[in-house]
Amino acid sequence: MEASVPPRPDAAADSAFLGRDLTKIYVSGETEVHALRGVDFEIRKGEVLVLLGPSGSGKSTWLNVVGGLDRPTSGTLQYDGTELTTLDERDLTRFRRANIGFIFQFYNLIPSLTAEENVRLVTDIATDPMPAAQALELVGLADRRHHFPAQLSGGEQQRVAVARAIAKQPGVLLCDEPTGALDSSTGVRVLETLAKTNHELNTTVLIITHNVGIAGMADRVYHFLDGQIARIESNSHKIAPAEISW
Amino acid sequence: MVRALDLKLIRDLWRMRGQAVAIAIVLAAASATFILSMGVHRSLFETREVYYSQNNFGDVFASMTRAPRSIVARVAEIEGVQRAEGSIVQYAILDYPDRVEAVRALLQSFDEYGRNRLNLVTLKSGRMPAPGQPGEVVVDEAFALANNVRLGDEVDAIIYGRKQRLEIVGVGLAPNYINALAPGDIVPDESRFGIFWIGREALEAATDRTEAINTLTVTLQRGVSEADVIRAIDRITEPFGGTGAYGRDNHPSHMFLQSELDQLEAMVQVFPPVFLIVSTFLVYIVLGRMIRTQRSQIGLLKAFGYSDLSIAWHFLKFALAVTVLASILGAIAGIWMAREMTELYARHYHFPILQFSFAPSVFVGAALLAAFSSGLGAISGIWKAVRLTPAVAMSPPPPPVYRSGAVEALGQKAGFTAIGHMIVRHIARWPGRSAITVSGVALSIGLLFSTLHFIDASHFMLESYFFRSQRQDISITFTEPRNNDVIHELRQIPGVLRVEPVRGLSVEMSHGNRVERTALEATPPDAILTARIDEKGELVAMPRGGLMLSKQLADQLGVSAGEDVHVAMLGGRRTEAMMPVGALVDEFIGARAYANDQTIAELARDGAPVGSAMMLIDPLYREQILTKLKAMPVTLSIGDRDLEMSRFEAMIDENINTMMAFYIGFASAIAVGVVYNSSRILFSERAHELATLRVLGYHRSEVAVVLIGENALLVAVSVPTGLIVGHWLAQFMVMMFSSDLFRLPFAPTNATYAKSAIIVLVAALLTSVLVARRVMGLDMVRVLKARD
Repeated sequence: MEASVPPRPDAAADSAFLGRDLTKIYVSGETEVHALRGVDFEIRKGEVLVLLGPSGSGKSTWLNVVGGLDRPTSGTLQYDGTELTTLDERDLTRFRRANIGFIFQFYNLIPSLTAEENVRLVTDIATDPMPAAQALELVGLADRRHHFPAQLSGGEQQRVAVARAIAKQPGVLLCDEPTGALDSSTGVRVLETLAKTNHELNTTVLIITHNVGIAGMADRVYHFLDGQIARIESNSHKIAPAEISW
Repeated sequence: MVRALDLKLIRDLWRMRGQAVAIAIVLAAASATFILSMGVHRSLFETREVYYSQNNFGDVFASMTRAPRSIVARVAEIEGVQRAEGSIVQYAILDYPDRVEAVRALLQSFDEYGRNRLNLVTLKSGRMPAPGQPGEVVVDEAFALANNVRLGDEVDAIIYGRKQRLEIVGVGLAPNYINALAPGDIVPDESRFGIFWIGREALEAATDRTEAINTLTVTLQRGVSEADVIRAIDRITEPFGGTGAYGRDNHPSHMFLQSELDQLEAMVQVFPPVFLIVSTFLVYIVLGRMIRTQRSQIGLLKAFGYSDLSIAWHFLKFALAVTVLASILGAIAGIWMAREMTELYARHYHFPILQFSFAPSVFVGAALLAAFSSGLGAISGIWKAVRLTPAVAMSPPPPPVYRSGAVEALGQKAGFTAIGHMIVRHIARWPGRSAITVSGVALSIGLLFSTLHFIDASHFMLESYFFRSQRQDISITFTEPRNNDVIHELRQIPGVLRVEPVRGLSVEMSHGNRVERTALEATPPDAILTARIDEKGELVAMPRGGLMLSKQLADQLGVSAGEDVHVAMLGGRRTEAMMPVGALVDEFIGARAYANDQTIAELARDGAPVGSAMMLIDPLYREQILTKLKAMPVTLSIGDRDLEMSRFEAMIDENINTMMAFYIGFASAIAVGVVYNSSRILFSERAHELATLRVLGYHRSEVAVVLIGENALLVAVSVPTGLIVGHWLAQFMVMMFSSDLFRLPFAPTNATYAKSAIIVLVAALLTSVLVARRVMGLDMVRVLKARD
């Protein structure tokens, strides 16, 4: 990716993201919504970070800004030494294309493409992707690769989404409520895939969830409240997804 | 107080204004072409009817060589005849010393004591000639305007071989000369040909026809058989060289006007239906989509207790609102175009006054058609809305199901990218809508093709007539049939390179119960200046014996090659014979018959009269030759091929260019309307997917490919389809527009294929890009928050 801004001196060598005083204000009509109020944070490469907090606390906005889907109103944000806030639309798209894998609550698969083709959507444009078939194998869906989304269960669809996200071997996986629409056993399978990716590919994994139990598998937990990180928790003992109580 | 549901309607309309306007424009094109054709037809028709009745246009007409005036009284006594009048018509050459080309006049006698009741002259200025003033004339308005003639002007005329000075005392027009064509001409030329009304006594004296006439005009009582009266008149005029009476259907001026009216009627049958069909489809897809997206709202309204009827009415009002907008736009465009057209007609047809008249019924008719077509398009969507039960409606619709099919195998073989699959499968998933887009754009190409083809057809006709079959520089028509001496005389003129006689007879041909009057012409076997050329441009050889008929005439008679027709001379010795049809020739202008010299001589029994001659000249001597010909007493008219051709071209260009601009606009409107609506629907359906692609790291331009690609593929299919539709439409129009006077060939040029495809492609592409620009404003975050 194009580095248009030199790394700031205080950036730690092993940090994936480094945010300083990030604010985001939405103006809707005559009212202003302060979604982020001066957030500072540092996310380390290869860590699993879980974001908890009530609805409207700013965690989705934060995730969108970090993922390059949205721009902060003020503040700075670096990824791997590159300042993101000054990138234009084209470079921000390149940043997402190269580094970020997204997983959403409602899967967002393209209904007209089969499982494998949904993965190929990403491998078609990535620089050093793994074969689509391999990504599907990683999520345990090798035998379902020619099925269309409408022919797959919710959990299977979400695993296709995970395969799609990991196929390009991204530096970061951003997951917005990845298990929100799934039952517990399916949810666990998805989380296991995420943990496996983190472990095997050293991918940084950021997970937004309402499910406090998921916090157990994180290295650290950010608690969001009123547009700020109210509290950061570190887990000395990570638990396996299978042990998470739903 | 506006009801809440109506507020919703207003806001829905505002939100979908682009699509509503796009449909309205196509619908407006239907209204406009309807108003144009019907309105102009009505204006022209009513003006003609009023003019005919106020000025007592005759019902039956007859010509003869010379008959005593007393036969008028005999004709008046025929049962069913209301009134009969006799007059003299005589061609004259006008001597304008500073003009090289021959200017001709048709002198038409009238009673200077005011006893005429038929074919009355309407004076635009001046007065009618006074009794005892033999030199006074009234000239027709078109001639006066074209030649800047003023009251009091004088001109020398060679009448019956004698020079006489004429004074213009009035300018007027009459219903029997609404369209005045000089003998030998195929295009009216008011600068070189005019009608001069002159006192009866003056013309009798000038033509040695004291108390004699050579034409008859008759009006009939209501409900009388025209054919019976014609037969009775023929019996009376036969001894006086009568060439057979005929009704309005064969009256040259009336025929010309009638063919124009027929063409306007043909237009109504072609253009508005195309636009109406497309609008119906557009309403169908747009309203259908709107109802699908408002599914949960419909459920909610039903849960609140709104009846099925009020919901149906709510959505129908959407379609009607579009209709109202379309009717207003269509009326404005229609009135404007109709005025332009009427002005054009007013230049070609000589009426006392011709204006576009606002007939409310035409506008009401246009609005009803528009309402019907958009209502028809709305039915299926509304029916679906009505059938939804609240509980089902409020739950999200089932996701679209894609399955592997035929398209699938194709895509796998072709090695499509994922984006390629998205495009192709979406088309296959919505075959109905894809078909509508393809047929809409195809119709637009077809319409454009058939319109542009008009220019091709006209030029081909022109080319065929002037360049292939008429190779002379000058043609000369004689006052009456001459013998070969006149040809020798012409050959003596310095600068004349070749002279070929054309022998001609007026005949009536019949086959079965069909009867047609035509000219039977013959040229010498070694003739090179005239040729019979068929539709493909090939020379057709004259059969050794028998006749060659133009295909037009053969069709009218219902006869084919090898069959016999009955031929009766009109005038002359009135011989009759059964003659075989040896060959047919596909000509575009006129419905004529040809034979060799010998056949004509046998039929005429008087050494075959020379009616006209074709001449090839040295251009350096052009002026001297024309001056000499003008002065010859045998000259009735002189045709100048180059002049006629440029005149014809000018007429085609003037008439067609105006129409062309309208129809290029309309055809593009269809393409824009169809592509805009299908793109907008595509965009709204796929917004979620497009946002997903953006999130996954696709650039805007790559995402836009999904939108533009689908349209491009559909439009690509439309091009060949459209050209096929165009072929069909063009052939249909050629058929509808052909009259007894001329026939349009089907002769599209490569440029027409290219132009019609390119214009529509550009319109479609621009529209598609316009919609694709919405990708720029795609809010990835908001779209992804919502469940699809």
